[in-house]
Amino acid sequence: MRSSTIRTAPSHFARALQYTSPGLIRCPRPCIVAKWLQSRSLTTATAHEAIPLRKHLKDEAKRKKADAKRDGNTASTKPGGDPRLEKWELTVGIEIHAELNTASKLFSSAPAEVLESDNGGTANSRVAMFDAALPGTQPQFQVATLLPALRAAIAFGCEVQRQSGWDRKHYFHWDQPNGYQITQYYQPFAKDGCLVLDASDGVPALDMQGADRLRIGIKQIQMEQDTAKTTNVGSSTYHVDLNRAGVPLIEIITLPHIHSPQTAAAVVRKIQAVLKSVSSCVIGMELGGLRADVNVSVRERGTSGVGSSYSGVSGLGQRTEIKNLSSFKAVEDAIIAERNRQITVLEAGGVIEGETRGWTLGATETTRLRGKEGEVDYRYMPDADLPPLVIGQDLVEHLTSTLPTLPDELQQELQDEYNDAKTLIDLDSGDRLDFFLRTVHSVTAELGMSSQAQIGKMVGNWVLHELGGLLTTHQRSWDDVRVTADELKNILLCLHRKQITTRVAKQLLADLFQRAPAPAARPSVEQLIETGNLRLRPLSEEEYRDLARRIMEESPEMVKAVREKGQKGKVMWFVGQMVRQGEEGTVEPEKAKAVIESLMGG
Amino acid sequence: MLPRSVQKWASGCTRSLQPRVCTRPFATSPPRRDAIERDANGHLDVGKLLSIPTWSVASLLTPKDQQTPTPEVSSKQLHHLLRLSALPPPKDTAEEAQMLSTLATQLHFVKEIQKVDTEGVEPLRSLRDETAQGEREAELGMEALRGALEQEEIRGTHHRRIRRKAGGRDGEEGEKWNPLRTAGRKRGRYFVVEGGKEG
Repeated sequence: MRSSTIRTAPSHFARALQYTSPGLIRCPRPCIVAKWLQSRSLTTATAHEAIPLRKHLKDEAKRKKADAKRDGNTASTKPGGDPRLEKWELTVGIEIHAELNTASKLFSSAPAEVLESDNGGTANSRVAMFDAALPGTQPQFQVATLLPALRAAIAFGCEVQRQSGWDRKHYFHWDQPNGYQITQYYQPFAKDGCLVLDASDGVPALDMQGADRLRIGIKQIQMEQDTAKTTNVGSSTYHVDLNRAGVPLIEIITLPHIHSPQTAAAVVRKIQAVLKSVSSCVIGMELGGLRADVNVSVRERGTSGVGSSYSGVSGLGQRTEIKNLSSFKAVEDAIIAERNRQITVLEAGGVIEGETRGWTLGATETTRLRGKEGEVDYRYMPDADLPPLVIGQDLVEHLTSTLPTLPDELQQELQDEYNDAKTLIDLDSGDRLDFFLRTVHSVTAELGMSSQAQIGKMVGNWVLHELGGLLTTHQRSWDDVRVTADELKNILLCLHRKQITTRVAKQLLADLFQRAPAPAARPSVEQLIETGNLRLRPLSEEEYRDLARRIMEESPEMVKAVREKGQKGKVMWFVGQMVRQGEEGTVEPEKAKAVIESLMGG
Repeated sequence: MLPRSVQKWASGCTRSLQPRVCTRPFATSPPRRDAIERDANGHLDVGKLLSIPTWSVASLLTPKDQQTPTPEVSSKQLHHLLRLSALPPPKDTAEEAQMLSTLATQLHFVKEIQKVDTEGVEPLRSLRDETAQGEREAELGMEALRGALEQEEIRGTHHRRIRRKAGGRDGEEGEKWNPLRTAGRKRGRYFVVEGGKEG
């Protein structure tokens, strides 16, 4: 990135750029930061170099370790290491705002997403007259927005209310053209759901309290409008873009059942994963599609705090709200900072005020945004322009029966059968997993169920590493992959039946990868083997020995190294030479190695 | 008031009786105490009847006998309310005093209205069809969402996911307007706002 782009990016992103691993110098964390910068047209790099998958996974693991180490230095890593935590108990409630995956906005028919014809998205190009709040315009509920909202409610096990209302939340701000936001304050459309977490989601053992699952209650889910986007240019000048005004959001409010910062981050991650799996909200937190507000309070263990209660959970301390957290790490760090601040104040004999606070990336303490006296009076009232929302039970039942597999179920299924498949889940929005499953099923159909685990492992390797490698070498995305599951199945069957060697199989895959897709003539795997004379013609033992002796005669120094110096690793060099010098598709590496070892030993 | 034909029928069949409450089934104000005057033929002078109102909203505006003094609105509260409504603050003390007295009478009016017993009555939110038929028509079920469901497809065979079909919008061909033409201050494709001290 050129330095000029770093200077114009906000400070917290500039700091994020510092934390990149040294290996990826030119494209630091392209998956996250570059996308953000690109979305704001701040980078001129049109195509960044493709990073090999394995390298990327390794770098991510390294970065996570470095982060954990860094955090471990500031807060004690020993379980229950901070002695104050033995006295004070943390309680957190989370409110998540997620942008729904819809074609149009909530109350007008303007497009909710960037159109393909509009490269990058011109500002103020997707604004209906109601979004601009022209006098006399009326809201009109777009029924298609109900589908992703209902799927989200069903995925969290909520009770969908047959009748719900629309209310106005009044406040003045330049990102709210109407002067009020239409939300569902009095009667949300879904209530009383729950989210289930376990240790693999990142919940610390202390929070699990011996159980194997943690249930976080969800108080309600409601639909509401999003505000316009404002960008700060210069000291106090703002640019307003109404494209986002009126886009449908769902607000998911959890009950205060969360008792640690790591659990809170795990809850947000899980909610994002569930919403993505039912295609309710497909834009993640890094791209601004999901935002979290957290409510934090502490109380002495065994007491009932100051007696506050929220929605049935009582005996809590005074809570403060931290608004607009935009990454999982920010959620965790902000809660830790706020918890520490509250404990410090309470131990010094002070009192926590119910205020609204903010958090910036890289800060050590939350900053105060609004005190109680600045509290906004929203003057909630039912919106008279809109009739109540009446949802039919037949629709709810249809969506429940056609709901896609949730991440928990998917992981359970895959874990039972194919251990490697977990890495495939997140790739290419599930397309690669689908390809993997199709291939496995067709291979199993031919070979029988007995070796399913083995088949899964083999197919997993090929789909993840071989195809993945080809994708990066030729800089293609998964959508461009022309190899069909059938072709891969045929290659693997030939390999399994020892009709070809592994090396030949890889060559076949690369060949098919390059060819034009159907309907252009694509030779079948059989035809390719025939024309290339690639079938394995196994050599006899004599022929192996002859070839081996020939190579050993050609390079006596290597023979000496193995025999006398005991460098066993060099045997593989001989194997390589045999494969190279033998005819294509004749030498099998395992047999060659056995022969060489026997010759060496003798 | 009742249509003339009904009045004639009523006066015809019950000439001697006073009009009872059943002839005014929706009335909330008490019936007239004085007898409605009829001339010798039994005709009603409707013009005279309607010339004197039986009730006026003025009865709710001015506090009667100053019995229940309305709670005073302080100057601080007035400024807070004006700020919430984004209305300009009063220019001088005279205007402020006038605002406070208007507010006091308005509050008295509201309190009189609040004296009505609304036990068990659902508040009216908007004028709409509240019959069972109306609710059935307003229900969003499979029929109403059919078009939207057709815009979705299932992707994948073993790992099935839902995708919205691309380019399925009929679009807003008609409404191609430029929202920036409503603004005085703009720069390029953006509206410009000065943040200032308010932040």
